[in-house]
Amino acid sequence: MLLSMLILSASTIPIVYFLGKKSPKAAAYLVALTCMCDIALLFTTLPSILNDANHIYMESYYWIPVLRSSFTLFVDGVSLSMAIVTLVLIFASSLFSISYMHEKKSLAEYYALLALLSIGLVGVFITSNLMLFYFCWELMLVPAYFIIGGWGYREPYRAAFKFFIFTHAGAVFVLLGIGAIFMVSGDLDIFTAKLALMANPDLARWILLSFTAGFAVKMAVVPVHMWLPDAHSEAPAPMSALLSGVVISAGAYAILRISLGTVFPAVIATNFGTQFLHALTFFGMISAFFGALIALVESDIKRIIAYSSIAHMGYVLFGLSLFPYNEAITGTTFHLVSHAVSKGLLFLTAGAVMKQLEIRDIRQMGGLAGQMPITATSSIIAALSIAGIPPFACFISEFLIFVGAFRAIANDSFYTVMTALMLIATVLSLAYALRFIGHVFFGQSKHEKIVDVPLSMKLAMGILTVLVVILGVWPTFFIHLITSVTFV
Amino acid sequence: MLPYAPWLVWLLPIFSSLLTPLVSRFSPKARNCFAVVVSLTALIFAISMLPEAYFNTLESPDLTVSWIPLVRINVGVYLDSMSILLACLVTFFGFVITLYSLGYMAGEEGLTRYCFFILLFIGSMSGLVLSDNFFQLFIFWEMVGLCSYSLISFWYKRPESVRAGVKVFLMTRVGDVCLLAGICLLYVNSGSFSFRYISSNIGQISPTVLAASAFLMLGGAIAKSAQLPLHTWLYSAMEAPTSVSALLHSATMVKAGVYLIARLIVLFGPLTASIPMWLPSILWIGTITAFVGATLALSTTDIKGVAAYSTISQIGFMFAALGTAYSTASPGWFAGVLHLIGHAFFQGLDFLLIGGIVHAVGTRDMRLMGGLRKEMPITFALSLVVMASRAGIPPLISFFSKELAIQSVLSSGYLFNYILLYVSTTLTFAYTLRVLTLVYLREKSDYLNQVHVHEAPKIMLLSAWILAAICLTAGLFVNKFSHIMEARLEIGMSEIFSFSTLALFFALSVGGISVYFAYYRRPSLPSLLMGKIQYIGALLKNGYFFDLFYEKGIAMGILAFSRNLKHVEAAFLNNAPLLVARLVLNFAYKIQRYLENTFFNSLPLLVAEGMLNLAYKTQKYLDILADELLYVIVKKILPSVSKIRKMSSNSINHYISAALIGFLIILTLVIITMLM
Repeated sequence: MLLSMLILSASTIPIVYFLGKKSPKAAAYLVALTCMCDIALLFTTLPSILNDANHIYMESYYWIPVLRSSFTLFVDGVSLSMAIVTLVLIFASSLFSISYMHEKKSLAEYYALLALLSIGLVGVFITSNLMLFYFCWELMLVPAYFIIGGWGYREPYRAAFKFFIFTHAGAVFVLLGIGAIFMVSGDLDIFTAKLALMANPDLARWILLSFTAGFAVKMAVVPVHMWLPDAHSEAPAPMSALLSGVVISAGAYAILRISLGTVFPAVIATNFGTQFLHALTFFGMISAFFGALIALVESDIKRIIAYSSIAHMGYVLFGLSLFPYNEAITGTTFHLVSHAVSKGLLFLTAGAVMKQLEIRDIRQMGGLAGQMPITATSSIIAALSIAGIPPFACFISEFLIFVGAFRAIANDSFYTVMTALMLIATVLSLAYALRFIGHVFFGQSKHEKIVDVPLSMKLAMGILTVLVVILGVWPTFFIHLITSVTFV
Repeated sequence: MLPYAPWLVWLLPIFSSLLTPLVSRFSPKARNCFAVVVSLTALIFAISMLPEAYFNTLESPDLTVSWIPLVRINVGVYLDSMSILLACLVTFFGFVITLYSLGYMAGEEGLTRYCFFILLFIGSMSGLVLSDNFFQLFIFWEMVGLCSYSLISFWYKRPESVRAGVKVFLMTRVGDVCLLAGICLLYVNSGSFSFRYISSNIGQISPTVLAASAFLMLGGAIAKSAQLPLHTWLYSAMEAPTSVSALLHSATMVKAGVYLIARLIVLFGPLTASIPMWLPSILWIGTITAFVGATLALSTTDIKGVAAYSTISQIGFMFAALGTAYSTASPGWFAGVLHLIGHAFFQGLDFLLIGGIVHAVGTRDMRLMGGLRKEMPITFALSLVVMASRAGIPPLISFFSKELAIQSVLSSGYLFNYILLYVSTTLTFAYTLRVLTLVYLREKSDYLNQVHVHEAPKIMLLSAWILAAICLTAGLFVNKFSHIMEARLEIGMSEIFSFSTLALFFALSVGGISVYFAYYRRPSLPSLLMGKIQYIGALLKNGYFFDLFYEKGIAMGILAFSRNLKHVEAAFLNNAPLLVARLVLNFAYKIQRYLENTFFNSLPLLVAEGMLNLAYKTQKYLDILADELLYVIVKKILPSVSKIRKMSSNSINHYISAALIGFLIILTLVIITMLM
């Protein structure tokens, strides 16, 4: 089923391209339709995830025998959640693009790249083979580069270049780690590598550091975050939504799955393991504060959201550093889902505002709540979710992370200070969210004759808005899925 | 009890609020009716629970719905006399205010949004008091904050409203974060969020943890209930429409902190007293807030400001009363909750009247009012009820609650707090009289002569009448309240004729006389006083500099820090990769230059030279080789050549034999291939 999903996605790319030459709208619908089909195919794996003893669904195919590498696709609760939310975001982005990208040129290429991107993104989440993982990891990068460069704002290729160079430099570390794992275990499957690494804790340290450094670049942890504000703010809004929603989450997912899930058990009981987790906590805290503080004074509508992404990756890293505590890991994974939906929505609404006003400075905006009510409602809900206000999605995940943090406090006094600081950071996140809302949507209207966006954009935002609320009120489905996975 | 009443009380308004946008599609009238009907239904559900509470036949329903099984969170309701009484209070006010809003908000834009948030608020607030676990409580706690933010910013085009909304939300958020920390701490150490579970296993939690989480939650309560030092938001919240102020910022939401403290005392049970410094902290915070709030109310010229500071001060009384409650059986606990209920009625009524006045006069500045007793006689009559209640004149309900509160402080042995509370009572009466003088009694101001003042619309007065009726009669049912709350206190009318009443009246008359002199006889006296004691004047004018500190100190500090951080990022962090890139480029350039100079430029020459050399040498060696080869070949071949010539010249047989041998070889080859 997973293979057929990939084949389906891959085979639609040329169709999207040639259809896009005729009618870009049809191409967008085709991309969206493919996403729906992919989701449906993913859901067929649900029974085995929920009912099997291992809570896992796996497919293995004969691949490169020299590397003893088989083409393994698998989903468990965590990867299924990530894959679903990715596809939902691509679905919404392609719908949003219909009107948003309307006036742009060469849309056939755009939609084809979007379809290609979906393979890379989903592929990262559903493979347990490191070779294939790396392939998808880079496949994620290339279409993103061209989309940012080709359809972005201001100096798009500069931002795209920065994005590419940074993440590619990170990928070198990942490749290094993969090579080392192959050296140790003679296999490229993460599940077998886990056991092989257990016997080799000294090398596992270096592998752990190398992997984590590589993934942290993708995750845009301070101080390797510099690519993010440029790339996210210069990309076209649907791409920003994907970048902030899924691409950086892929970094976090990789840390969880590979760094912590595969390599970390080898050093879990050692002093080094504790120090490593403390380092993650520290960098998470720094990122959370840094992002929130800069977002508080930034005045470019998309850069605010971009910095907020840095802050939220800080929360995620903080959550990941609470690896031994089940609540925290569940909360972190759920935060990836809820943050993806909320931040994707926030970027889409920012794009809608920018499209209608054709300015980016929030100080020149105001009063849009009356002129663009649907966009305003969606955006306010997204911003409040980002700030961790119930009953929206991110509250539940942040809450679970904090429950984990308080568990950690009982065992390790290091976390007392860190948790207190993170709690303060949540106040800051409300501050920038309210500032954003206040400047953009409240106050006196400064522009005449602004109307709300066309239907397809409203639809895309509406779907995500409903999701944000549903995930906040009824998170049980995803949490049930995620808790079926045991990492420790 | 109606079936599922404890659930429907809060679920119904929340779900109905989602339907408001749909209903308003039909007509504004349908939407208004819908809001009124929903709030009335919620009220009926809430009241249907009262008999069970009264006859003590309450059976807490065990119906819970699993929500987040990972951390054992279930959705449930917790019924006891306090939660039922408060649910009744919330839904009752919800209904009255919805009714009032029909008149007060008529003709405003965005009424659908207003109805949506009012209904959402009614649901969330009832949900808050009926929650059976901390998690649910926290969610509703934040949701009422959200409603508060949205309703304060209702006139979103006014910058003041937006700024006030942000301030209120952020300041209460500080407390919310404390509350969240307290809840998590308690969960981690007890293993459950459930009230029932925690209260029955409270003994197993270590005292340190219990104290820490109790103090953290107290922080949440302080912020939500506008106690010192986080009280300043309540004044800013007055930017909201007055109906919202009545519902959220005097009657219900702002009392959530009081409810939380009362609930914690219930849960901690006998352990309450064992938490070091917890109850005394509450008492002290309450006492000081009561005093500070009263002084601020005395100095402000904003009619809504008086109401806001008065609310702060009165909640201080509730805190002080709860601070003496070692258990639910002690009179302080009952006094706190009773004062909560009593205060809700008269303060809500006060806001409703203020709404009418501001509506009619068009300003909030009391110095521009005066003589309204003639233009607005009904409002004037009703505001006398408010004033009597606020001052605590027997036999109104606030007399009993305030008396009980002050007496319980005295009987706990806190003499200083007792005196300070009495001073606050005096000040309360003083600012009440001051409002009376400034707004109703003195001559009309010049400003008012230009404005056509009219009595409030009937629908607004109707809700005010309802509240006034309750204010006047509730005192008669104090014993019933005491019965419901199982306070085991016999409060008879004899209470009225006691020494403490005498003391109260003495205090009140002192306050009254001072105000009489200050404002009625010589209106310039306070300014004289203020001029003489400039420090106090400046202190009061700036609200004890709390806001100045928060806005100029903390908020501006954070912003300045962030701006610097941004510059640092722009200057350093963004340039760091550039620097690395430049280094790499420079290095590459240098290598290139070096190689060019040393190697690449001379390369073609070298190659050419090498080739020439090679060619020359090759040629030389090849010549020698060829010569040698020729020599060898000639030397080897010449003898053979001579032999062949000899053979051929001999005979023809040789040729035939050679041909035969060749044929035979071919034949064998053929046979071999065939055999293969």
